[in-house]
Amino acid sequence: MPNPFRFLDLKVNDAYTNMAMDEAMTKARGEGKVPDTLRFYMWKPSAVTLGYFLSVEDEVNPEALNRFGFNLNRRISGGGAVLNSEKGEITYSVVLKEDDPRVSTDPVESYHYLCQGIVEALDVLGIKAEFKPINDVIVAGKKVSGNAQIRRYGAVLHHGTLLVDFDAREMFGVLKISKEKLSDKMIQQAEDRVTTIRRLLGRQISFPEVRDALEEGYRRALDAELVEGELTPYEEALVKQFRTRYASREWIHRR
Amino acid sequence: MKRFEYKVPGGKLLRAKIEVEGEKIKFLQLTGDFFMEPETDLEELEAQLLGSRAEPALIEVAVKDFFTRRKTRMAGASPADFAHVINQALRA
Repeated sequence: MPNPFRFLDLKVNDAYTNMAMDEAMTKARGEGKVPDTLRFYMWKPSAVTLGYFLSVEDEVNPEALNRFGFNLNRRISGGGAVLNSEKGEITYSVVLKEDDPRVSTDPVESYHYLCQGIVEALDVLGIKAEFKPINDVIVAGKKVSGNAQIRRYGAVLHHGTLLVDFDAREMFGVLKISKEKLSDKMIQQAEDRVTTIRRLLGRQISFPEVRDALEEGYRRALDAELVEGELTPYEEALVKQFRTRYASREWIHRR
Repeated sequence: MKRFEYKVPGGKLLRAKIEVEGEKIKFLQLTGDFFMEPETDLEELEAQLLGSRAEPALIEVAVKDFFTRRKTRMAGASPADFAHVINQALRA
């Protein structure tokens, strides 16, 4: 028997609405008001999104951020800083009950399970990818997808990004890359750590094509029966409430 | 302000910023790309260490005790790593 999932198809929102939607779905799922959910989304304008425990000054070049006109945003989940580029990636979230037997309490196993949709999506595109603990999906040693999870409200939220295209000038203009992190991986060039679907395929690829692969990938990985849906009025009300927090200076600059 | 940055082997990056006045911790901020739940435990650890003596052995015990008592879940870093980055920052 396939597992039923509510499916919220690819939509474009700003950073604060996107993060508020993920949190609203998580709360509603924990409270048993909505089913398990898979959501695809994009960002406009592009935004730098910080993991919960990162500090703005360590991660972001404010001058470049302003020059490009990007938003600055903080997740409720931990993990690294990412550039959620409106031109270069698709993001996704999966929300399940925290006590769902499919999701391990062990963090690495839980990431492995919920990253499998990305591995399968890349397989659909003819790319051989693998999960790399703790929270990445890599192809030939290079990261193509970063993920973050949080357990809150009795639910688990897994969200992440799949790089489709990449503007090094933008990404390394706005993000400060730690020397410690680079030295550990013994790689001189920050750019060598990441890759994109477009580079891997050596051709242009449209967002609809990536979206279709993601849908098929998650269907396989979660044995999911996807039922197109929307946010409930309860979730919409939560989005409004949470968005105010995500957009506040106090939240963004809390570290 | 003293700072130290530590990449946990096979794990995540931790940073400590610390200020000591008269042998006591006056400011402490821990940041990084690790995962921790509940996330409020990090702020509470920082608050608890404020005013403590800036003594590595004491800090190590306090940090490990705090996370054990709270049953804090973390990925990419351990309680020992947090103690390590704080104590390295003190020596910086």
